[in-house]
Amino acid sequence: MLGLRELQLGFANAVLDGAEDNFDRHIRAAELSGVRRLQVYRNNTLLSLTGALEAVYPVVRHLVGEEFFRYAAAQYIARHPSRSGDLHEFGEHFPLFLQAFAPAADVVYLPEVARLEWAYHQVFHAADHRPLDVAALAQVPVERQGELRFELHPAARLLESAFPILRIWQVNQDDEGSDATVDLREGGVKLLVIRRENLEIEFQPMEEGAFHLLQALAGACDFAMACEWAMAAQPTLDLPACFHRYVSQGVLTAFYLPDS
Amino acid sequence: MTTKPVLSRLGPGSIPARAGIGLRAEHYDAVLKTRPPVGWLEVHSENYFGAGGRPLDYLERIRAHYPLSLHGVGLSIGSTDPLDRPHLAKLKGLIKRFEPALVSEHLSWSSVGGRYFNDLLPLPYTEEALYHMVARVAQVQDVLGRSILIENPSSYLQYVESALPEQEFLVELARRTSCGVLLDVNNVYVSARNHGFDASAYLRAIPRHVVQEIHLAGFTVNRFDDGELLIDTHNRPVWPAVWALYRQAVQRFDRIPTLIEWDTDLPELAVLVDEAHRADMILEERHAWAA
Repeated sequence: MLGLRELQLGFANAVLDGAEDNFDRHIRAAELSGVRRLQVYRNNTLLSLTGALEAVYPVVRHLVGEEFFRYAAAQYIARHPSRSGDLHEFGEHFPLFLQAFAPAADVVYLPEVARLEWAYHQVFHAADHRPLDVAALAQVPVERQGELRFELHPAARLLESAFPILRIWQVNQDDEGSDATVDLREGGVKLLVIRRENLEIEFQPMEEGAFHLLQALAGACDFAMACEWAMAAQPTLDLPACFHRYVSQGVLTAFYLPDS
Repeated sequence: MTTKPVLSRLGPGSIPARAGIGLRAEHYDAVLKTRPPVGWLEVHSENYFGAGGRPLDYLERIRAHYPLSLHGVGLSIGSTDPLDRPHLAKLKGLIKRFEPALVSEHLSWSSVGGRYFNDLLPLPYTEEALYHMVARVAQVQDVLGRSILIENPSSYLQYVESALPEQEFLVELARRTSCGVLLDVNNVYVSARNHGFDASAYLRAIPRHVVQEIHLAGFTVNRFDDGELLIDTHNRPVWPAVWALYRQAVQRFDRIPTLIEWDTDLPELAVLVDEAHRADMILEERHAWAA
């Protein structure tokens, strides 16, 4: 007779690690064997976790097909077990897993598309935030503006890829015609994923300078340095217009002046 | 998470002794647009554990029109791992914001050694497990500052270790912690068929006053060459045999808020509303006998 702790550990070993035979003797076998009964739980767990991955990564699934996706999901689940009772937290490491997943090596852009989908998932559930207080920002003395630090909206993510992942994402939505193709020679993309105030999620392709500006601000650079970095990346950038766009779109939500 | 209280015309109030339906994302717009005539709604708590965005926005708007029940599927109360405090804190935040009339979880466990199955796993019904569940339910109720309901699970195996029938374990848990019972009539039927016990006797073993909510759903039959198992899939209408058992439950426990659950292969909202209407008719019959 096992105690509760040992019984639960034994059950996990049987169902998650496939050692059903060792646990069989703790199951009452009426008609169906203990192994058969344990397999029901193994199947339920696999269905539940695979379903969670399918919900977050529909485009990855569309790209590789259902059968391949399920195979990859099973491998992922075995290597990166769920660590939360909240299924929305499951799947964070799937992009990195795919990068090292030999059977998918030919689909070079697959991990990058997965990163885009995980960013979308995070943005979907991220905290709400009021827009930036423009009146208060206008009160900051000109000579101190360079010291300003800004915060990005909790529902904003910056992504950079060597592949045209936004176009791939777009043409692989389920309702898109399947004859659309993307030429990988279109090249890479820099993206802002942002949830707007109406809760719609947008993908905005970004110019070099704008990307550097937001990346620097997200990394807590002061405003002067972020502007400098942005202009160095793209000397033709219309910096004031760019900055105002991200304030008015609610991408930049808060600012502060460090203590002088 | 923001904790501003919901601008609700309804206070926390109570769940009416009518049929309600499980609210799923696919039906958000239809519920807001058609305001179906169901008594109340239930959601899975974890679907609103995000910090913000659309799910919470929808729930806030829908909550303004319906009494709400929060049904947890991930707390893993029966686990021998430490209780997941951040999970419980998120649940507490949801309760504060949405003022549900009922909060429920399961007589089950779903994680051990830090690994989650994200499935509802059966406990051995032993004295040790009972002590453990009593302590954990008490702990949860302390943190939340309110009593919760515990639901009987569907199960596909019984442990050699079990010494008590499930219904006795559940009743004793309710007696010692003052938690209520969420009686899932479909689960009673599924487990009774899977393990060969008498579903009616199960109902008779539960005292009248402890049942505060009833669940109904559809199951699937999995056939193997050496037998069959009923699986609690929530993907089809309630079976006739479960409706019959529900009538027995309503006779015994009187008019209890009853939920139609449907989680996969979701049909149109109207199908769920029809099922709820059917449950309402059975509840009203009970009213007629009592009158």
